[in-house]
Amino acid sequence: MSTPDQGLALHHLTVRFGGLLALDDVSLRVTPGRVVGIIGPNGAGKTTLFNVVCGFVGAQAGSMTLDGRPFRARPHHLVRHGIARTLQGVGQFNGLSVLENVLAGVRSGRKPEQQAAAALERCGIAEHARQMPATLPYAVRKRVELARALVSKPRILMLDEPAGGLDTDEIRWLETLIREADTTVMLVEHHMDLVMSVCDEILVLDFGKPIAFGPPDTIRNDPKVTDAYLGAAA
Amino acid sequence: MTIVRDRVATTLHALPGKRRINPILVVVVAGAIIVALTYTLPAFRTYQLATVGAYFCVTAGLTVLTGLNGQLSLGHGALMATGAYTLALWQNKFNMLIPGVIVAILVTTAVGAIIGLAAARLRGPYLAGLTLAVAVVVPSISSTFDGTFNSDQGLPVALNPPPESILVEQWQAWVCWIAALVTVLALAYLTRGRFGRDMRAVRDDETAAKLAGISVARTQVLAFVVSAACAGLGGALFAVLSQSVSPGAFPLTLSLFLLMAIVIGGLGRLVGALIGALLLVALPAIAQEIGQSAGSQRLEGNLALTFFGVVLVVVMIAAPGGLTSIRLRRTKTTRTRNELKQKGR
Ligand SMILES: Nc1ncnc2c1ncn2[C@@H]1O[C@H](COP(=O)(O)OP(=O)(O)OP(=O)(O)O)[C@@H](O)[C@H]1O
Ligand SMILES: [Mg+2]
Repeated sequence: MSTPDQGLALHHLTVRFGGLLALDDVSLRVTPGRVVGIIGPNGAGKTTLFNVVCGFVGAQAGSMTLDGRPFRARPHHLVRHGIARTLQGVGQFNGLSVLENVLAGVRSGRKPEQQAAAALERCGIAEHARQMPATLPYAVRKRVELARALVSKPRILMLDEPAGGLDTDEIRWLETLIREADTTVMLVEHHMDLVMSVCDEILVLDFGKPIAFGPPDTIRNDPKVTDAYLGAAA
Repeated sequence: MTIVRDRVATTLHALPGKRRINPILVVVVAGAIIVALTYTLPAFRTYQLATVGAYFCVTAGLTVLTGLNGQLSLGHGALMATGAYTLALWQNKFNMLIPGVIVAILVTTAVGAIIGLAAARLRGPYLAGLTLAVAVVVPSISSTFDGTFNSDQGLPVALNPPPESILVEQWQAWVCWIAALVTVLALAYLTRGRFGRDMRAVRDDETAAKLAGISVARTQVLAFVVSAACAGLGGALFAVLSQSVSPGAFPLTLSLFLLMAIVIGGLGRLVGALIGALLLVALPAIAQEIGQSAGSQRLEGNLALTFFGVVLVVVMIAAPGGLTSIRLRRTKTTRTRNELKQKGR
């Protein structure tokens, strides 16, 4: 259905922080409708990759395209391009109620309250709408952030460790949400069961370098990948 | 900035968005009370009431900037001076008060926009430093351009006398409070919609705000501009009240007092700004009385600062969210109790 140009593509991205090579010639095509996992040990450059896409970090080399056109968005224009992202941990507006947190993500369309209510409903936290996030359990707060990302009806949803700190039931819920989301998903995650079950393809980074790319089965059995993780653990 | 954020964090539950009182109703009732007061209070008290109104314009704008948007400004005294001098120059040339006040607001808004543009690039102590520099530099402009601003002596402000049927103080109180109530009404509406939400989102988490599609810089500049407009209006009113302007009326301590006042009152809340405005008039007045009875002018100046410091410390220990948070905390517990009762628990 989609032409090869469609969707987001990263071409040979390189990012250096001083002497540290955070991304080393990373290319990735994110095909519409797919769930693309990005994994790798701590400090591999996963969040940095997200930051480049979102315009928080500039790449020293390489380029990006969206639907074949050059893409370099300022962070607050991402939503307009149909890209929404959650932050590692929780990025939340503690002075805003849960409902207001989600409302903040509504940038277009009519009846913002209804849009927000629908997103809360979808994330199963409608009952908390009037509460302040700081008073709620961590898992609920993570859902608030998800709801804020979803409320903009993104075509690409970028999730940075959405399962971090969640229990099994919560992760199962998340799994369903990702699977049923009618958007492209880019998923950075350490929880391997989740990654393997929801992703169509997976990019593995190690010290900023892409070391493997392919469907879950291939990645699972790739010795380079196990080496990278074992190396990191050792 | 972390100080501001912590302060704000403690008032979170009190922030607007829950109990929605119609602001127009509040303003109408307040207006009626003010009119009644101007017919009952003695002239000097009426003058003080007018001063509260003028301060209220400034504190309301400042609490939006600092409380809702998290930007600290030590330069609001200087912005007041800008408004005051603009009005003085205008009046001495044209003597038309209402257009003069509007021009004063516009000029201060423009100055605020310039500072705001720079401020949006700065955070925390650097922002405080910038606004502090403004507070120091602006008054010194008056001595640099002697011809226009008449240095330390300042300028008189030409004003037409009010209608004969009312006292000057009454007229002053009405002028100041019409301005204050219009300001507060405008701010109430401005902050309860999207703009208010964006400001608070930017204050709480800039990265998340950007990802939600909010232009952080734009929001911050707008907040500064709005707040500067309010300070300009307040400054113009002070020029009307004292019928003169001089650099000495807008010292650095004024900026500090403004900030302390809104923190004591309760950051980010218009009611807190009102309490702050009352304190700005009451505490120096008390200091003055004590100073006079002790026969020392130096004591007077220092006492005001001491009072503010002491009140600030006491309030921060007793009610970290400022004076408004005390009342709110009680209503909140009664509310939850009522909710529990309804649920039959
Ligand atoms: N703004 C920055 N300035 C300097 N160094 C940075 C910056 N952001 C990231 N780094 C460094 O770049 C490397 C990659 O970091 P990144 O956050 O992308 O890793 P990650 O794969 O997301 O790790 P984790 O799984 O722990 O979240 C790390 O060594 C990190 O310290
Ligand atoms: Mg990361």
